[in-house]
Amino acid sequence: MLSALIWIPVLGALIIAVLPPTIEASRIRQVALMFGSIALALTIALATQFDALSIGMQFQENIPWLDSLGLTYRLGVDGLSFPLLALSNFLTLVAIYCTDITVQRPKFYYALILVLNMGVTGAFLAQNLLLFFLFYELELIPLYLLIGIWGGAKRGYAATKFLIYTAFSGVLILAAFLGLTWLGGSNSFEFDPLLSQTLPLTAQIVLLGAILIGFGIKVPLFPLHTWLPDAHVEASTPISVLLAGVLLKLGTYGLIRFGLQLFPEAWAVLSPWLATWAVVSVLFGAFTAIAQTDMKKMVAYSSIAHMGYILLAAAAATPLSLLGTVFQMVSHGLISAMLFALVGVVYKKTGTRDITVLQGLLNPERGLPIIGSLMVVGVMASAGIPGMVGFISEFLIFRGSFPVFPVQTLLSMVGTGLTAVYFLLLVNRTFFGRLPDQFANLPQVPWSERAPGFVLAVLIVILGLQPGWVVRWTETTTTAMLTDFPTIAAKVLKSPSPPKILANEQLVIHN
Amino acid sequence: MQQFLIDTSWWVPCYGFLGAILSLPWATGLIRRTGPRPAAYLNIFTTLLACVHGWALFNATWGQESHELIIHWLKAADLDLSIALDISSASVGAMEVTTGLSLLAQLFALGYMEKDWALARFFALMGFFEAAMSGLALSNSLFLTYALLEILTLSTYLLVGFWYAQPLVVTAARDAFLTKRVGDVLLLMGVVTLSTLSGSLNFPDLYDWAETAELSPTVAGLLSLALIAGPIGKCAQFPLHLWLDEAMEGPNPASILRNSVVVGCGAYVLIKLQPILMVSPVASTALVALGSMTAIGASLVAIAQIDIKRALAHSTSAYLGLVFVAVGMNWTGFALALLFAHAIAKALLFMSTGSIIATTSCQDITEMGGLWSRMPATTSAFLVGSAGLVGLLPLGGFWAFQQGVDDFWYGQPWLVAVILIVNALTAFNLTRIYRLVFLGEPMPKTRRAPEVPWTMAVPMVTLTIFTLTVPLIMQTLSALPSWQYLNWQGSLMIIGSGLTGLIAGSIATFNHNWSRPIQAPLRLMQDFLAYDLYVDRFYRVTVVFVVSTISRFSAWFDRYIVDGFVNFVGLASIFSGESLKYSVSGQSQAYMLTILVGVGLLGMVLTWSMWESALGVFF
Repeated sequence: MLSALIWIPVLGALIIAVLPPTIEASRIRQVALMFGSIALALTIALATQFDALSIGMQFQENIPWLDSLGLTYRLGVDGLSFPLLALSNFLTLVAIYCTDITVQRPKFYYALILVLNMGVTGAFLAQNLLLFFLFYELELIPLYLLIGIWGGAKRGYAATKFLIYTAFSGVLILAAFLGLTWLGGSNSFEFDPLLSQTLPLTAQIVLLGAILIGFGIKVPLFPLHTWLPDAHVEASTPISVLLAGVLLKLGTYGLIRFGLQLFPEAWAVLSPWLATWAVVSVLFGAFTAIAQTDMKKMVAYSSIAHMGYILLAAAAATPLSLLGTVFQMVSHGLISAMLFALVGVVYKKTGTRDITVLQGLLNPERGLPIIGSLMVVGVMASAGIPGMVGFISEFLIFRGSFPVFPVQTLLSMVGTGLTAVYFLLLVNRTFFGRLPDQFANLPQVPWSERAPGFVLAVLIVILGLQPGWVVRWTETTTTAMLTDFPTIAAKVLKSPSPPKILANEQLVIHN
Repeated sequence: MQQFLIDTSWWVPCYGFLGAILSLPWATGLIRRTGPRPAAYLNIFTTLLACVHGWALFNATWGQESHELIIHWLKAADLDLSIALDISSASVGAMEVTTGLSLLAQLFALGYMEKDWALARFFALMGFFEAAMSGLALSNSLFLTYALLEILTLSTYLLVGFWYAQPLVVTAARDAFLTKRVGDVLLLMGVVTLSTLSGSLNFPDLYDWAETAELSPTVAGLLSLALIAGPIGKCAQFPLHLWLDEAMEGPNPASILRNSVVVGCGAYVLIKLQPILMVSPVASTALVALGSMTAIGASLVAIAQIDIKRALAHSTSAYLGLVFVAVGMNWTGFALALLFAHAIAKALLFMSTGSIIATTSCQDITEMGGLWSRMPATTSAFLVGSAGLVGLLPLGGFWAFQQGVDDFWYGQPWLVAVILIVNALTAFNLTRIYRLVFLGEPMPKTRRAPEVPWTMAVPMVTLTIFTLTVPLIMQTLSALPSWQYLNWQGSLMIIGSGLTGLIAGSIATFNHNWSRPIQAPLRLMQDFLAYDLYVDRFYRVTVVFVVSTISRFSAWFDRYIVDGFVNFVGLASIFSGESLKYSVSGQSQAYMLTILVGVGLLGMVLTWSMWESALGVFF
């Protein structure tokens, strides 16, 4: 079942590759859409079989591969990876749908998107560290090409920057994996046995440091983030959707799966620093977003801020905050995908993304009124207005993190206020006001181009009103992940009580 | 039947949402053939439904104990978020006032917005607005209250920004959203803290917790300040009052609701929070200080306004300031009475204003005059609204003030003075507006001014009659003092202050030659008040300046330091590669030497332990 999720996109890519060269671009798109839909349908079928109440990996598959290296083809899915898997397959479909009909070299393009989907799916499913690493690196190649070939003017620079950053991240992660296995004296890279192994604290901290920087690049966290704005600005709309919606989640997924789960002692020691790092990242991303004039850059910096919340919640490591991390990954995936898709339409129709040039696009007859209204929904969701998914995920994070890191949580909340500032500036400048003459005759937006925004908006509202539909997949897993954590943390920190109660006392006495 | 009504009470707020959703096909332009009117009728129908259902519910709950309705919304880990509703005659009554005023405002809008192309969007937003407010009246959980306050912020933004093509509207919508958002974020901080400390967000649990909570004074103080920040933003109190005056750029029917019930919602939340605020004395001090400051400051600022809507909007801030004082001093009875009387009277004043604007297409009171004979219904609405607002005739405002004066009479006489000053200043302001707009010679813009059509006149006259019956309603709710205990001195003082304002307003000269004083001090004073104490400029050089400076610095830092470092590393590696390539001379001796040195060094490193022990002999 899980293998099918990995290999169906590959099959699709192969079929697209062998299609005759004379075939129309729209046909190729249909084939790609078909394979994307099959993957999504399989994920939904998986959801019906998925037991949300069981702890541990489900649908496991295990095929020995290179025993001498410790590499096995072991797959599995749990409450942490399942929502992300669904998100990834859904957004891949959205990205294929968003693609311009007139895209250059369509066969190569759609094949690469499917290969990218395969890499991401594989990374979420892999239960062997080396296998994860293989998929994690594999996903780089199609993305590099997708930015480098179909990107904007400075695409070469952006793609190379992305490649070097992420390759560096891969090296660090590989080093940490190798160190973990060899220092532990084992020869196997299986995830589960490694879970129970304990290394000396110093070794753990060093290895966790490598993991943190490695995945911190992917998330991205300040100051490892500068590849992201460039990559977003240069990438075409569907690639931005995938990059923000799916690929950044690999970083936070890795932090929780391979950081928190494999090195709980070191995580407990470093967590105050991680929370502070998260605050810096949130505030830096938010403040920098205010000063941007390119809509895509603004959304990109807002991604940095919103991904920072996940680090905060992961650092706090309470059952609620960890649930919040998964929820925030899903919500940020949907919201940022929606914003990038809408910015893409604006760019396509007006030819610019500069908010100092654009004005009055909400004009009912000659502007982009529906796109503008959807944009208002998107930015409000991002700013955390209740009734939409961004609010409840951030609320879970803040409420979950507050008992452990009250000051850092309150500072992060300033970030939600700043989100309102920069996104309001964006909407007010580009959509409000009088439509200038240069944009007076914008091409019509057909309903097919509005569809992705609509579907995402509906999902954002539905999941915002029914958060239980996300929570139920994850809750058992995240709670189980932390059953031992308070005692471990207490042992390491040499405090008599688990961190939660400790923090409450601090709050009462010191402040 | 009664049980059924109570079980379905949560439908009432949903009607508004339903109306908003049903209007979407017209608002988005999917249905064009019918024009936007069906959406308006749909919304009026759903609001009527909410009104009727609310009224039946009110009758069912009258004199009954309050019921609690809990819908579990999200249970995750140790968090249980529920939608709790408090069904009591008080909360249902508040909801009924909201839906009733919303119905009247929407009927009024049918006439006022008649020619607007975006009628459907307007009505959808009004439905949304009404739903959030009536939900707020019923809410019995701080979480739901917070969520609805945020939705109210959003719908205020959209309603103020309704005519988004005008530049003033754009800044007004922005300011409305951001100032309220400041309050909301602070409130969210309070909600998260409270949720952590008490473990529940339902008001009854929070009240129990607040009675026994032992917090350090700093935490308690900060917590209570965070909690009142939300209402401060919603009720347009200093220092977050900026938005209400600018929000007058929005369509008038929305202003009717905004100045009566929206600000009331903020105060209602404050009243709900009041038992929790008792954890710290800081909150009550802050409430009284901010409230009295806003009350007197805004009354003065109102007098210097020449825009008819803004002149009334500032007086809204002033009245809500008195409500804040009342909550701060723990007199919630006075707060509720004043809220009720103010909501009805202010809604009527804004309807009358709307009629004037619709007829004359002008908001500047110095360009008006002589409307009394041309617009009788509007004139009587203005007079009745004014009488209902100030304490002079025995209408709602008078009885509310009477209660306030009674409450503060022994403990806090200086607050009685605040009430009297606000009363006198408001009476002066309303007399001034009345004289400029309705009396005097007709001006060019008011010469041809017919009375408004029936769609606007009917809700206006209905509300006029309703305003006159407010004392009777207060009587039924036993909110009036009995005759033998009536504080006659207090009543005389209220009437005296009202009369002072009225007489001063009648004899002061408002002609054109006087409208701009020549003497520098007077002129400065007028500007100071007319520009709202220069608060917006103050914010521009402080908060806005700080945020924009930090953002520009961080963008610069990002571009030149972080990214600069990255690019420098890239350049350095390219440069070193490029320069190292010139060291390739082609001489085989040089290669041999390099290899020899390299292997030698490698050998040294590999055998280092041996060397160490050998060298150890010497040292």
